[in-house]
Amino acid sequence: MLELKGVNAYYGQLQALWDVSLEVNEGEFVALIGPNGAGKTTTLKVITGLLKPAAGTVRFCGRDLVREPANRIVELGISQVPEGGRVFTGMTVLENLELGAFVAQARKDRVQSLQWVFGIFPRLEERKHQRAGTLSGGERQMLAIGRALMSKPKLLLLDEPSFGLAPLLVEHIFETITEINKQGVTILLVEQNIRAALELASRAYVIENGRVVGQGAHEDLLSFESVRSAYLG
Amino acid sequence: MPATVAQSLAFGILVGALYALAAVGLSLVFGVTKFLNVAHGEFLMFGGYASFWLFTLLGVDPFASIPLSMLFLVLIGLLVYRLLFSRMAKLPTQEKIRNTLLVGFGLGLILQNVALRLWTADNRGITPSYAREALTILGVRLPYVRVASLILAFVFLFALQLFLRRTYTGKAIRATVEDWEAATLMGIDVHRVYLLSFLLAAALAGAAGTLVAVGYSVEPTMGMHWTLKGLIVLVMGGIGSITGTLVGGLILGVAESATAVFINSNYRQVVGLVIFILVLLIRPQGLFGTKEG
Amino acid sequence: MTVKKIIPVALLVVGVMVLWLVPTFIKSDSAVNLLILTFIYVMLAVSWNILGGYTGQVNLGHAAFFGLGTLATRLLYTSGFHIFPSLLAAGVVAVVFSMFIGIPAFRLRLRGDYFTIGTLALSQILYITVGNVLPKITYLPIEDIQNYQLNLRYYLILALALFTIGVAYMLAKSRLGLGMMAVRENEDAAEALGVNAFSHKLLALALSAFLGGLAGGAYAYYQTSYYFNYTFTPLWSLDPVTITFVGGVGTVIGPVIGAVFFVLVKEFLVLRMGEYHLIVFGILFILVVLFLPGGLVEAWERVRQAIARRLKYRETAVPSLELRKD
Repeated sequence: MLELKGVNAYYGQLQALWDVSLEVNEGEFVALIGPNGAGKTTTLKVITGLLKPAAGTVRFCGRDLVREPANRIVELGISQVPEGGRVFTGMTVLENLELGAFVAQARKDRVQSLQWVFGIFPRLEERKHQRAGTLSGGERQMLAIGRALMSKPKLLLLDEPSFGLAPLLVEHIFETITEINKQGVTILLVEQNIRAALELASRAYVIENGRVVGQGAHEDLLSFESVRSAYLG
Repeated sequence: MPATVAQSLAFGILVGALYALAAVGLSLVFGVTKFLNVAHGEFLMFGGYASFWLFTLLGVDPFASIPLSMLFLVLIGLLVYRLLFSRMAKLPTQEKIRNTLLVGFGLGLILQNVALRLWTADNRGITPSYAREALTILGVRLPYVRVASLILAFVFLFALQLFLRRTYTGKAIRATVEDWEAATLMGIDVHRVYLLSFLLAAALAGAAGTLVAVGYSVEPTMGMHWTLKGLIVLVMGGIGSITGTLVGGLILGVAESATAVFINSNYRQVVGLVIFILVLLIRPQGLFGTKEG
Repeated sequence: MTVKKIIPVALLVVGVMVLWLVPTFIKSDSAVNLLILTFIYVMLAVSWNILGGYTGQVNLGHAAFFGLGTLATRLLYTSGFHIFPSLLAAGVVAVVFSMFIGIPAFRLRLRGDYFTIGTLALSQILYITVGNVLPKITYLPIEDIQNYQLNLRYYLILALALFTIGVAYMLAKSRLGLGMMAVRENEDAAEALGVNAFSHKLLALALSAFLGGLAGGAYAYYQTSYYFNYTFTPLWSLDPVTITFVGGVGTVIGPVIGAVFFVLVKEFLVLRMGEYHLIVFGILFILVVLFLPGGLVEAWERVRQAIARRLKYRETAVPSLELRKD
């Protein structure tokens, strides 16, 4: 479904990704793990078009994403929950969700999508007229996920959805993500919480210093320092 | 004395509504695109001249010419955006502000001199047959054209508010103001939003220009004054708040009138600038605005 | 000293000598007037560049310094003071005024764009206030007008312009100037390296104001009559900005080239088609900001490099031909 091949990417003069290749198949739950600053968020930026790669290909359902502007990529069925949620704090919960369904096809079905999202996160329905800025950290993360689902994505990218949340909430968020995956949405999860990510995902890629250094199920990855320390720590 | 005070207050409110209308476009564009378009006042001037010539040459009623003046400014805005501002859309924020400010400055200089060559330095006002008629309430004289301008300014601001709150496009604009990257992830084409808000601002400047030409007058060097009025209102009202802009505009109008009555009419232009400097130094995020990035 | 270093020094000496001899050989008052105007524009642009170019703080109210300079010199000179203390006062008054915006703005680390609009607003306040307080024309003392010594003024203003350029040059080469440029490139990084951004910006502002005021003083000594608030009009703020950018912002020579170019374009266009020079210069200015951030200096540098590349290519090509002969 999604395939990155030999991707090099730069921030100005600074190379952030070296020859990154990875693949996500339809219906899968794949994790992308690695230490801080390894290039996880950059990889997501390349997929969503916020950063265009200098070399390599990015294909989604047979289409070349490198040539599509960032806003078109959403229309093709990729949606991202950015790091920290980045909800629109000055707007209401409902307005945030409506914006999630901004692209034309999603907008048609937004009433159903809204029911679907409220089914997953009843808390959002209770607060729908509240300004997003007044929500708690956990609620904001729910809103960010709900907003991303409103575009009816085929592939959902999540960037550190557990970051800064209390353990109980983390568990709830991860359960929800698994549930969303079971409903047919393919998941690519970026996490520093390696242990949790490996337990949820069927497969994972390990990325270090901008390079993919390994992949497989979690028992295959125990040879990596970062993975091992996550289990020991 | 009380009668003069009431009269000044009334004039202050009447002109304050126009300040708000002149400022709202500047504020919208700055909020969305981080362009500081200091040629906004020159846009307004062109709107005023458009209506002036439509009235003088073809006898078009100034209020009827508002849509034409707006359309004219949309065309100018489109040209200016495509030629100049679109090239700066992708710069990092601080550089973008600086460069758009410089380009706007140069553009203002050009437009001002073009107007000077085309239409001379004369002051021009639109004087339809009803220009001198006024409503008198308790001894306070309210010229019809200025009252109508006030009402229209309120209508424009209210319509803009409604557009931003209620429509999908309006919400996309607000989302871009808050976080353009997150907006892109929603599938919003932020560069189209940039263009749209730029054109919207130009159209509003056109309408404001007509109202200024009919209630007051236009001349080629007025642009910088109106840009400054817009900036003063913008720092008072905060960026992206239409209510703040309206209140800021009215306060500026009233403060100018109060200065004219209690100090000296020669200093009415100074009071706004002093307020401006004070606000910048004391509350850089605007009197009514919340903290903006 | 290598030949490369001698050439510019020799050029400078010859240039100054030529300028010094102009009044002796050229008996046309209009040519001398034109040169004086050029010197004043040079002073304005070079002084603007110290703050705007070296530290990157765009000032849209340079007219305030210029205007205050004219005011101080004119008032003192017409009330009987000698021209030298009157000129000094011009610089000092401008510096004192500049501190009113500089200290609060830089202490608060006000964003650059706020500083910019703040300066615009302040210069407008002065323009209006001076127009209200002194709504009249000022004349040089009658004895000065009756016995107007153009050449004296020429030499004095030439010396002031050279002094201004000299200060800008020495500053650019000094640690202080390097610190200012570091602040422009990245304020936080500069502070991390031990450069105090606040004091560097403030000093740049003070120097810029002093020299801008001096330019005003020169104008006040030169011009026989003008409205008191004329020297505060926004055009005196606009011109140094456009001149500096067109010439090459942040460089020593850029504003000088820009000023000469500005006066030439102005004269040429006034002769050909009337007062269109501001439109032309506005367009040039925009083109520079958008496409050639280094201005004429950068354009020249590019041409020079292209020529050098071509010459180098020929140099390397020649021996290889000779080799083939063997």
